[in-house]
Amino acid sequence: MLSVDQASVYFATRDGRTVQALDRVSFDIPDSGFVVALGASGCGKSTILNAIAGFLPLSEGTITLNGRPVSGPGADRGVVFQKDTLLPWKTVIENVGLGLKFAGIGRAVRRDRVEELLRLVGLADFAAAYPYELSGGMRQRVGIARALATEPEILLMDEPFGALDSLTREQMQELLVGVWKRTGKRIFFITHSIEEALFLGTQVLVMSPRPGRIVGRFDPPFMRQFAESGDARAVKTAPEFAELREEIRAMLHATDTVRRDAA
Amino acid sequence: MSEITQDTVLRPDQLHTHTQSQPLPRPVRTVEMTSFGIAGRPTAAISLVTAVVILSAWWATSWLGLVSPLFLPAPAEVVTQFANIYRDGYAGASLGEHLFASLFRILTAAAIAISLAIPIGLLMGVNRVAKGVLDTPIEFYWPLPPLSYLPLMIIWLGIGETSKITLLTLAMFAPICLSAQAGVRALPIERINAARSLGASRFQLFTDIVFPSALPEILTGVRIALGIGWGTLVAAELIASTRGIGFMIMSAAQFLATDVVFVGIFIIAACAFSSAAAIRLLEAALVPWKGRT
Repeated sequence: MLSVDQASVYFATRDGRTVQALDRVSFDIPDSGFVVALGASGCGKSTILNAIAGFLPLSEGTITLNGRPVSGPGADRGVVFQKDTLLPWKTVIENVGLGLKFAGIGRAVRRDRVEELLRLVGLADFAAAYPYELSGGMRQRVGIARALATEPEILLMDEPFGALDSLTREQMQELLVGVWKRTGKRIFFITHSIEEALFLGTQVLVMSPRPGRIVGRFDPPFMRQFAESGDARAVKTAPEFAELREEIRAMLHATDTVRRDAA
Repeated sequence: MSEITQDTVLRPDQLHTHTQSQPLPRPVRTVEMTSFGIAGRPTAAISLVTAVVILSAWWATSWLGLVSPLFLPAPAEVVTQFANIYRDGYAGASLGEHLFASLFRILTAAAIAISLAIPIGLLMGVNRVAKGVLDTPIEFYWPLPPLSYLPLMIIWLGIGETSKITLLTLAMFAPICLSAQAGVRALPIERINAARSLGASRFQLFTDIVFPSALPEILTGVRIALGIGWGTLVAAELIASTRGIGFMIMSAAQFLATDVVFVGIFIIAACAFSSAAAIRLLEAALVPWKGRT
């Protein structure tokens, strides 16, 4: 279980003011939970991910993973970034095996484990390729395999498909559901796409900006439906999907202070 | 009309093979986006023509007797003089010994400069105290022309090899050190964070992420340093030297042996060109990803 309890974050601006980026955010990610934080930019969703990853300390509140408080980055929390962070001088197989290398695991064992992961993300034929030889979607698949290699307790994904074209994006969403289904990994996923959040999340946290806080929680059934049926279009075109999408859209617009003030 | 329809309306699979490989029925005018500047078009032929023109002008000038051979020897004279020096040596040492003396100095200095400047530069890039302490001396000395502190080197270290190699090392240290720092500055924080969340220790972060990330900039620094090194070499061999290509040039100049000066200049040019080419090959081998991420 990953628990975020009353997490607040304050930043100091250059001109000496203090802004609140996160306001008493609390949620849990149970075993095999797929939690999606949804919101416009500035709603604190990346801030909370950075805090869970250990890149950013909290001003107030606590984050615990299986009862132990989180302090600093570690291999028990795998991160997939929006911008791919693969090492350009290493091949796909070396990139995916990086965490295992850091842990001092020998080359032969590393190779077996990495090849298994590459099959999981459908890149078995690209083990010897360099990142610059791959498309954006393929690079993100390498990123997912790399984050899974150290067998983390949770996978943290910071808008991982944000830079992909919409067709590739849908393929990647379906691939990710497959990965979740087979590994049973906890996942914390950030997006600003309502549709992506609804399709992927077993729990969706709707967040609003200034200060970043959770304004709504939903438990959509769609990801499990897709995991069973394998028919993404049927799930996404179902009336319940559209209904919930519009409800969340209305909620996001109502909490958009800039838009409200302008009106 | 029906033929056109057939040709223009294609299924997606046909479209691919059609545009890829089928010969076009008639010659067409291919087009490309308007470019700016050189845009990767080859310049080698133009450079070659320029070299031929310069050589011809040189040859014509001396053949017509426009300039005294004292100032500008004929190309043939320079070639003859090169053969003479190659056979008989110059000022009591063979050409090989002069060349070896110069190469020994510059390569020793380069080895010392590279092995010091890379770790120090990377350290200055990541550590505030190291940056603060080392910035003062480095920023003070590196804009100085090496020739200005050569006398000091000689007073402190004598007229032997030590002062020359130290001078060259100092001249070559700064560009490599500064480029290593620039390499660290260009390192995206996401790459560091990714490595940290994969469990990298501080040492692993340095060896596996920081150093290879900075390598393209470091190699650029090494190339600049070697250029500065060849320039400084002649200055270092200017004073109290009995060996070296720089010494040969200086000594010949005192006797107005312009043809020997030319021989020396061409040898240094060939050496400097070779070392720059060697670094380019090294870049192609070590950082093939450069500019492609």
